[in-house]
Amino acid sequence: MPRWGMVIDVKRCIACWGCAIACKEEHFLPPGVFFNRVLIGETGKFPTSSKIIYPILCNHCSDAACVEACPTGATYVREDGIVAVDDEKCVGCRACLVSCPYQQRTYYDQKVKDREYFPGQGKTEMELIGEKLYPFKVGTVIKCNFCSERLEDGMKKGLTPGKDEDASPACVNICPVNARIFGDLDDPDSEINRLIMEKKGKQLRKEFGTEPAVYYID
Amino acid sequence: MSNKIHELEQIMFPPDGSGLKPYEWMVNPTRQRQWIDDKGLFLWLAFFFSEIGAGLYFVSLFYAYKLGLILGWLITLVLGGVIHVLYLGNPLRAWRMIMKPNTSELSRGIWIIGVFAALGLLQIVTSGGFNMVFSTIMGILCLLIISHGFATMNVIRALPAWSSTMVLPLSLISGVWIGHQILQFMVSVSGSAALASGMEVWAEVFFFAYFLCIVLYVWGTWHSNEIGKESIKMQLRGDLLKISFIGIGLLAITVPLILALIMWGGDTNSFLIFLRLACVIAGDLALRYVIMKSAVYKPLI
Amino acid sequence: MTYKTDEIWEDKWVNTTCGVCYCGCAAKVRVVNGVPVKVEGIKDSTMGGDGSGLCGKGTAGLMYYHDPNRIKKPLLRTNPEKGIGVDPKWKEIEWDEALEIIATKMKKIMEDDPNKILFTNQTMRASDGPHNHPYFYAQAFGVKNNGNFIIGGGSLHCGNACHMLGGLIHGAWSIAPDWRYTKYVLKWGSSKGTGSGHSAMTNARLRADAIRRGIKEVVFDPMGNFAGGKATEWVAILPGTDTAVGLAIANYIANIRGEMDILYLKAKTNFPYLIKDDGTYIRHEESDKPLIFDSREAKIKEYDDPTLAWEDCALDGEYEYNGERVRPCFVPFKEHLKQYTIEWASEISTVPVATILKVCKEWVDNAQIGSTITLEGKTYPYRPVSSVTFRGSQGHSNGIHQVAAIDLMSQLVGAEDVPGGTLGWPAIRRAYPGGNYEQTCKAGKDGVIVPSVFYSHDPWPVHAPSLPATNMGCVDIWTHCTLSHIPYVDEIDYIHEKFGMKSKPEMIFGIAANFVISNSDWDTAIKNFKDCFVVQMDLWVNETDQAIGDIILPDVSYLEKDCWSSEIDAFFFSGSPSHEDWYVHMQQPVAKPIGESRFFMDVYIDVANRCGVLDKFNAKLNDYYGVTDPELTIKPGEVLTWKEIGERFLKWVYGKDTEKIKEQGYATWNKPIEDVYWRWDIDTRCPVYMEYLLHDRKRMEEIFEQTGFDLEFDMDQYSALPSWFWPESHKDLDSEFDLIAFSYRDILHTNNTTFQNPYIDEVSKMCPYTFTITLNSSLAKEKGMKDGDVIWIETKAGVKENGIVKTMEAQSPKVIGIAGQGGLWADGRPIAKGKGSNFCKLLPSKLKYFDPVAGNMETAVAVKIYKD
Repeated sequence: MPRWGMVIDVKRCIACWGCAIACKEEHFLPPGVFFNRVLIGETGKFPTSSKIIYPILCNHCSDAACVEACPTGATYVREDGIVAVDDEKCVGCRACLVSCPYQQRTYYDQKVKDREYFPGQGKTEMELIGEKLYPFKVGTVIKCNFCSERLEDGMKKGLTPGKDEDASPACVNICPVNARIFGDLDDPDSEINRLIMEKKGKQLRKEFGTEPAVYYID
Repeated sequence: MSNKIHELEQIMFPPDGSGLKPYEWMVNPTRQRQWIDDKGLFLWLAFFFSEIGAGLYFVSLFYAYKLGLILGWLITLVLGGVIHVLYLGNPLRAWRMIMKPNTSELSRGIWIIGVFAALGLLQIVTSGGFNMVFSTIMGILCLLIISHGFATMNVIRALPAWSSTMVLPLSLISGVWIGHQILQFMVSVSGSAALASGMEVWAEVFFFAYFLCIVLYVWGTWHSNEIGKESIKMQLRGDLLKISFIGIGLLAITVPLILALIMWGGDTNSFLIFLRLACVIAGDLALRYVIMKSAVYKPLI
Repeated sequence: MTYKTDEIWEDKWVNTTCGVCYCGCAAKVRVVNGVPVKVEGIKDSTMGGDGSGLCGKGTAGLMYYHDPNRIKKPLLRTNPEKGIGVDPKWKEIEWDEALEIIATKMKKIMEDDPNKILFTNQTMRASDGPHNHPYFYAQAFGVKNNGNFIIGGGSLHCGNACHMLGGLIHGAWSIAPDWRYTKYVLKWGSSKGTGSGHSAMTNARLRADAIRRGIKEVVFDPMGNFAGGKATEWVAILPGTDTAVGLAIANYIANIRGEMDILYLKAKTNFPYLIKDDGTYIRHEESDKPLIFDSREAKIKEYDDPTLAWEDCALDGEYEYNGERVRPCFVPFKEHLKQYTIEWASEISTVPVATILKVCKEWVDNAQIGSTITLEGKTYPYRPVSSVTFRGSQGHSNGIHQVAAIDLMSQLVGAEDVPGGTLGWPAIRRAYPGGNYEQTCKAGKDGVIVPSVFYSHDPWPVHAPSLPATNMGCVDIWTHCTLSHIPYVDEIDYIHEKFGMKSKPEMIFGIAANFVISNSDWDTAIKNFKDCFVVQMDLWVNETDQAIGDIILPDVSYLEKDCWSSEIDAFFFSGSPSHEDWYVHMQQPVAKPIGESRFFMDVYIDVANRCGVLDKFNAKLNDYYGVTDPELTIKPGEVLTWKEIGERFLKWVYGKDTEKIKEQGYATWNKPIEDVYWRWDIDTRCPVYMEYLLHDRKRMEEIFEQTGFDLEFDMDQYSALPSWFWPESHKDLDSEFDLIAFSYRDILHTNNTTFQNPYIDEVSKMCPYTFTITLNSSLAKEKGMKDGDVIWIETKAGVKENGIVKTMEAQSPKVIGIAGQGGLWADGRPIAKGKGSNFCKLLPSKLKYFDPVAGNMETAVAVKIYKD
């Protein structure tokens, strides 16, 4: 069984937000909900300051704080390492949301569901279709799932996640500068393991001990 | 922080209650909101009621005061429990929360409350329920419930202000202190002036312990790390500043202190006890509000 | 989670071309039940290389289809009063009525003088339709030349000086580093490879690979944001002072270090051309060709004399020709550079001496002069250094000298169109195998390259300034304007009167241009255009439409468009500048047009037909695509839709593969390596010594004299030698107006159209600088300002704009930055309304704020700032 992970090459990233928007389209996310974001900051002082750009998403931690906090078992780490939410079991207590050091979860309530991209002008056809194609349950917590539907559908067709578009997460496919590399952390020969080794991949806020499956290289 | 929002800001970065502009999210220290903003207020109340209810129950055990047990049991379960369930996104599935007692503090809490509900009911309905063993078990259960809310918060590593070591002692003492105050008031209005007066010694003890715990919490959080410091700063800034000063400084500490001095040595009267009870309830709510409202996440970059 | 439901009766992907900016990236769109729901890149198109992505704004393009604010029927203004804040009182009318009003108006004007009609376009929509067609559409109506100003420049600060020198040096519209082989890149006020410019995402991918390979990228920019923030080293520089540093580097190369690619200078530049003391060439009596001294035979010869070997072209010495002293122009050129010391440049630009010196050294060290590289069995000079610029640094009143100075360092080391150096977008477009439409450049007068296709005003050969002006842009006089901005200039009436331009503009026929708010001072734009009958084809009622529009026709977005031609003729800025296969994408409709919206090309055809000029337009189309197959040409009298024309022309362009290409939505084919690194294969010379300007100066001075034209106009910039001139914005600085405001392209935005996209709007708020005014933190402190403060910016002309402060470290403390064209107010675009600040309105529209040579605007302005 693979353990899916991602390497984000911060050096390549140009902060275009393609990942964030492609993700919104893939999952039909309402306004204000992001499974992918880009954090932009600065370090240092003029004239030697530099810009920091960090695309972030759920880290699919193997020792996930959210899983630990979930009282119902709705949030769990799948065999393939993906941290998933079973919306049949979620009671909406948001313990996961509060405990995630990366703040990668969103509580989906009626207010969120009712939001419109063109406020006051009604939902667009796309938003309405999205509610059918990719329905979220009100009162549950939603999050990045590494596009597990794409992965599963793709693998059924014999495709390889990380290599074939139809078996890879939307944010990986959209990236115009190939800053996202997806693959199997359990495969010692995978490209992501090679990059993590060669470029000394870093996990975000390792000190929380959550063991993220997303690594950053620069 | 000015309350007047400039029209331009209203258009470009409409405030969302986080106190941050969207581009500052997780780049600057970012406040937790789920458990205090909007519907999150339910959780604040739920924690408060279940804990003071358990506090009342706990203190009543020592005085074998059945009315206190009943009221404590009701506050914990009806007020605490119902508000808790109302907070949930899917209240009908609340039963599922018993599934993960091995890792989830919340789940453990549900178990404890369940056991407390059953045994408490038993203790209340059985005559002579104040048997030593029974009372000890109930006492322990009460203490677990009292600390449950803060224990749930305490295990969240992502929020250093809550994982401060002084959070648990503070929560324990606050539950007992307020429970004690409710009981003292119940006793004083039900005619046992002597008993109420006798309870004053403990009131003084609990009050000073409570005060000490607040001081230690602030000191400990400030010195825990940069993010903890950020939380304390936030408590002393903007809207929270008012709540900190009036709620904690005045209602939770100063007024009860004055009243304790007035009633020093057992010179109690029902009105003053009532006044103090009202103050400490408001004060403790303020304290909890401020602690929940000021917990910030460490920026990711 | 249920992923699919029974209610889904259609779920397909359609290949098309992104239309959110002018880059035209490959895009495929997921359509569910007839509704477009997702955009991705196309992995199989060469454009994507190993990736296939799109940038955020391209990904967000879906919202153009879904926007409920799109206009759905033609609108007619019923309130005759025009201006900002005036309700046009729109009335919906039928298409037929609208087109009849338009055609009647046009026919009436044509009887009088067709030059009174202005045809405009906006680059936001460039890849969103056929790029070049409005030019010859205008010609079909009898409009003279292509001096019709606002085409392309319909509301943006286009890269006039860049295009001019791009054309003269590379035969191309634009330049980029050869990311695949370069080692050292200098970027000057441009974000090539980090978000903007032509073929933006192709370049971004190539750059990312280069950066990973370990190249060094030094960015000179007032702010360390999109380009500077990603650079190996960001160097803060004052806007408009790049020339100073560029000239100092050139001086270092030529005079201090003295290491140059001499063979290149002899063979590939006009430096050996002999000049008289007045600076002009001596020319052969019969052939009129410039002359070179053959040092082997000690004889003066025509520059292209077959007996003249490259290595024998003299670069120094003094000779006599017909009794006159003559010298290779390189002699005074080199001498001229000596005044530009590093210390001097540092003082002007605020770049520390040590930094300039370090860059000088690194530049020459990395240039590897003399080295070669063998690629695909061919050996080329290897010069892995590249110096590129674009809109930013050239957008000043000294723009031509900015670009010339930035190019000069590449010239001196021979790093032009060779592996590792600076590449133009392809100057040659090979036909698709088995198809037609091949465009090749050639050597023109004086050995200067003549681009195969160039939009608007051709850079070479230069026509002599002449009277009277026959078009709105007065390019008859102003010969180097790629796109003339004269119609925006406050003194337009005076200029037209002096230059004898008889035709006052009476009508604008525009495609989604927003020039009222996106060029310069709004009031001047309104003053200049409000009396025109303004027809626009647009998605929404934008600011220009609301202020001065008379009829607004609903256009389709790129998602509803059937546009076979979108990139065929755009090879010289939409493909890969690198050695990667050709790619051309088609725009295929992914959804039905919204409301009654129609593709503007079909509206063009309809209007031309009603005006009786369709045959002329069709003939021009045949000619433009070079269609000669009688079965495929459009015949006189034929009225075809754009799609029907495509069915014929695509067969011409792609031959037997047409159906296959239509089905996959794009074509890719081999680009031979010689078409990329063509510098030593095509016998042309770069006019680095700008001799032509001396003649233009003389003629223009005569015209000024003759007409009594006395507006401030810096004729000294007509200098053959790249030289230092203070940009106008700096001249306005004083103790009160103490800061320079500049603008830059945010990766999320294309002019102002993207402001109406809710996806982009949402993420723009999550970017610290997109909607804010940036100030260096110490400057902010000095001014008593902090993050979140609302401030006013005011110019000397009294124009004001407000915005929210965001402090940053990575910005020069003497400037303030605004990302483009916010501050919008059109009621038709509620998402855009009020977002960001408008930079353009701050720019004065007086003639003196324009580059007297290339015609671009001074896009920086002296301002003061204060708190609200």
